Amino acid sequence: MSADRSTYRPENMTANRTPLTIAAVLSVAMMAPVAWLLGLSIKDNMELKLGTDSVFELPYTLVNYLNILHSSQVFGWFFNSLVVATGQTFGVLVLSSLAGYAFARLEFPFRRTIFVIVLFGLAVPEQAVIIARHQMFNWAGLHNSYVGLILPDLSSALGVFLMTQFFKAIPREIDEAALLDNASPLRIFWKVLLPLTLPAQATLGIFTFLRAWNDYWWPLISATKKEMFTLTIGIASSQINFAQTEGLGFLSAQAVFASLPVLIVYLIFQRHIVTAVSGGAVK
Amino acid sequence: MRRFLLSTAALIALSCGTPAQAETKIELQRFFGACDADYGTVTDVSKAVGECGIITSLVNKFEADNPDIDVNVTTVEWPGYDQLNAQLASGAAPDVVSMHYSAISDYQSRGLIDPVDEVLSAEGISPDSFTDAARDGVTKDGKMFGLPFDNWTMLFHVNLNLMKEAGLVNADGTPILPKSADELIAQGKQFKEKTGKPYLVQIYANETAAYTRILYTLLQQQNSDFFADPTKIKLNTPEAKAALEFMKKIKDEGLTTTGLDYAAAVTAFQNGDGGIAVNGTWLIGDYVAQSEKEGTPLANGYTVYPVPQLYPGRDSTYADGHSWVLPHKDRTPEQTAAIGKLFKFLADNDYEWARTGHLPSVKAVFDKPEFKALPHRENIAEIAQTGRSLPAAVQRQFPIQDIIGEEAGAAINGDKSVDDALTSAESRINDLLANL
Amino acid sequence: MAESYRRSQWSNGLFVLPYLAVFVVLLAFPLFWGVWLSLHKVDLFGPGRFVGLANYGRVLVDPVFLQALRNTIVFVLVSVPVLVALGLFLALALNRTTRMTSFLRGLFFSSSVLSVTIVTLIWRFVFIPGDGLLAVLSEALSVQPVNFLSTSGWSLFSVGVATVWWCIGLPMMLFLAALQQIPNDLYEAAALDNASPWRVLTRVTVPSIARTIMLVAVIQIVMQFQLFGQAQLMTNGGPNGTSRPLVMYIYEVGFLRWDVGKAAAASELLFLIILVAAMAQYVVSARKSEASE
Repeated sequence: MSADRSTYRPENMTANRTPLTIAAVLSVAMMAPVAWLLGLSIKDNMELKLGTDSVFELPYTLVNYLNILHSSQVFGWFFNSLVVATGQTFGVLVLSSLAGYAFARLEFPFRRTIFVIVLFGLAVPEQAVIIARHQMFNWAGLHNSYVGLILPDLSSALGVFLMTQFFKAIPREIDEAALLDNASPLRIFWKVLLPLTLPAQATLGIFTFLRAWNDYWWPLISATKKEMFTLTIGIASSQINFAQTEGLGFLSAQAVFASLPVLIVYLIFQRHIVTAVSGGAVK
Repeated sequence: MRRFLLSTAALIALSCGTPAQAETKIELQRFFGACDADYGTVTDVSKAVGECGIITSLVNKFEADNPDIDVNVTTVEWPGYDQLNAQLASGAAPDVVSMHYSAISDYQSRGLIDPVDEVLSAEGISPDSFTDAARDGVTKDGKMFGLPFDNWTMLFHVNLNLMKEAGLVNADGTPILPKSADELIAQGKQFKEKTGKPYLVQIYANETAAYTRILYTLLQQQNSDFFADPTKIKLNTPEAKAALEFMKKIKDEGLTTTGLDYAAAVTAFQNGDGGIAVNGTWLIGDYVAQSEKEGTPLANGYTVYPVPQLYPGRDSTYADGHSWVLPHKDRTPEQTAAIGKLFKFLADNDYEWARTGHLPSVKAVFDKPEFKALPHRENIAEIAQTGRSLPAAVQRQFPIQDIIGEEAGAAINGDKSVDDALTSAESRINDLLANL
Repeated sequence: MAESYRRSQWSNGLFVLPYLAVFVVLLAFPLFWGVWLSLHKVDLFGPGRFVGLANYGRVLVDPVFLQALRNTIVFVLVSVPVLVALGLFLALALNRTTRMTSFLRGLFFSSSVLSVTIVTLIWRFVFIPGDGLLAVLSEALSVQPVNFLSTSGWSLFSVGVATVWWCIGLPMMLFLAALQQIPNDLYEAAALDNASPWRVLTRVTVPSIARTIMLVAVIQIVMQFQLFGQAQLMTNGGPNGTSRPLVMYIYEVGFLRWDVGKAAAASELLFLIILVAAMAQYVVSARKSEASE
């Protein structure tokens, strides 16, 4: 995407403010549930038991947030999610860049056949392999470990496919210049081409990170010890039967607390994330 | 591969571990909810109310009494058997797990849990110290496969304040409860007319267990032997039809709350939204505590009775119980000893657990003056005799419960005819049991 | 030297080897193992015996599977067009650079970074009877509240609302990126013809981003067929299984009923369905964009 190109659209669209107004109205619908959650999180649990309409009245309290600090396991879950998502992102980037470079630029026996087989992997959903994977990991003793949580999605073919496309999009002249200097394929990859793919790395990295962060089924059956719960599974474990146990206010505070770090990171990097995600559509 | 991974793990453990004082660690996994915010540090068990509070503070107390034992508690979403299955399959099962009596045979029949007889005898706990119902609940092939913790049934939790308003209270202050299905409908209508509120508070949303337990109860009361063959259920019977039609009629006549999930039903009764909550023994302690607070809808107006006998067959209520089982795994002698201590502690403190409202599993508790002094226990004492479980040989009782609950719910909500629902439930369950 | 770069060499394959190893071990092998499992009567805890296609037969006559299949297809048929249309609408409305639009873009994408359990927690607190936001609001307006999570029809609808809320960011972003690739002269030509905004939209904008529309649709079809967490956490598939998706069926059969062979058979069938649906969508769109060119 060229940044200098005008993002302005023709007058006939700009003049018409109706779509923007509708979008603004939709944004209220977008925010209302979150506002409700925030409201619940600053109310006393006992008061909420008598009726949640008290959210609209004083008094408010931070007691739920204080309770998190000394009793919730949300910190540990958060750390696990961070390790898993970071590890997976790193792994996917390394594997996909290496493979993408080779598929796009190098010749080796069976290149086409292998590429087609890998592309076929794009069509395999998690469900088709998850039960067998669970049994494999039983055998290897890999459940309830970071490795066990990180490994499965490294096999995703999407990253290889995207990186191959990105490497193909780099003009040939660039590595041919390097070839004249007798550079090895590894050197060309590392010194010349890899730096050019940084925007693509960001795109793939963010996709991978978000998918890992939000993964549900695999950690549900693999991370079965509470020390290894990811944030997703940890919050799930405490959200059932809520009124009976922790109380609406506490759970809301926990949810707010758990979402804050990602939202903050998102706000800081918003511009880059938007560029990165948009970059994914550019062919 | 596996050995390589394990030895690497061992190496890492050796190089990082600094075992200063060898603490014995027990992984305990349970339902009953999480309430660390309120009870995370409470060790005075007598201050706790309700299942979650009492079990949390019991474990805290045990840890305080035994500084050399670390009990690492994981709370799971009720009933947590899917998670346990994944753990057992991956060889990562915890040391001690909460389990319903009705689920034990699934795991025992596959050798997935260990007998506890030796653990109990090492601590001097005799099998005779448990009530017959509790001991039978955990005994398979002559061995005990868990520490029985309680027995429970569904009950009629009564809001006397509303019943008075409806004119359904005797001169001595006890509630007038129905003695037949027709009487229940009639009294329900009277209640609704006088108070404008539904007669029953039932769990109808996102729920299968409550439907099933009531249906089992109504079938038992008609002497229907629906599991005469433990590998085949029979639901295409006049008794099942009568029971389900009766349950549907309660809903059609507007005599029950609808759309409440478990949590909402618990609070709805507390807030005076209906006359009688059909829910388990485990809520007695919570509701008694509520009724002692002035100004609440339950203030000085709570009592509780067994589900009344509504059919002439016999007085019976579906019963189950909670136990602590030991998944099959290698344990160090220290761990086994620690588990023994924990079991002894839990058995010794069964009175505290009985304060929830559950029937104690330990016989001696019944004779304790404190237990006798607990409110309303004489009303429900008879469930020790009238409580009946499914035949012990019936496997997959939880999946069966889900199927019956789903189909019964469909019939009651009018999405299916009663006959279709019963036929469908029967064939689904029999397909499940035929393919174990 | 340039030749060694271009010439076919085994050593060049080393770059692919790490991924290929992971691919074979964690994708190809489990895929075949899954097929093998689906041909066996096997439970979670032990070896099984070969039963041929019996598991597939049992799945295909299981009314619960058929109901879950129907639920999933309905869910995909409704949620994917909504996500595509709403995403496109938002992209069109926000396709300019002002403070307001960049704020709104950020807002509509922000829900995508939340994990499924947070999303379902938020929406349960909106939908639950009695205490939920909608129940409180309808009480304030004296409207009879709907039991969203426990009424057939409404429960799947509620899962759909939460899903759209959660997933809308990605389609919007992909469309925004595509819109910015449309050459300005196309719009200038349309302006010269005095084309109406609607005409510009249908004759210029949509044809120009046809490939992205197809891409978004395929991504969403594949994603929404895999619906699981939202349904399990919000409605548990109820009432009467009317919001149980296929993936939840597989989970229940495998991990609640221990019937791993049957679960594997169902998951292979789901695989086939997703493959066919995505291919069909691809072929149809490809043909359409060819025809329009």
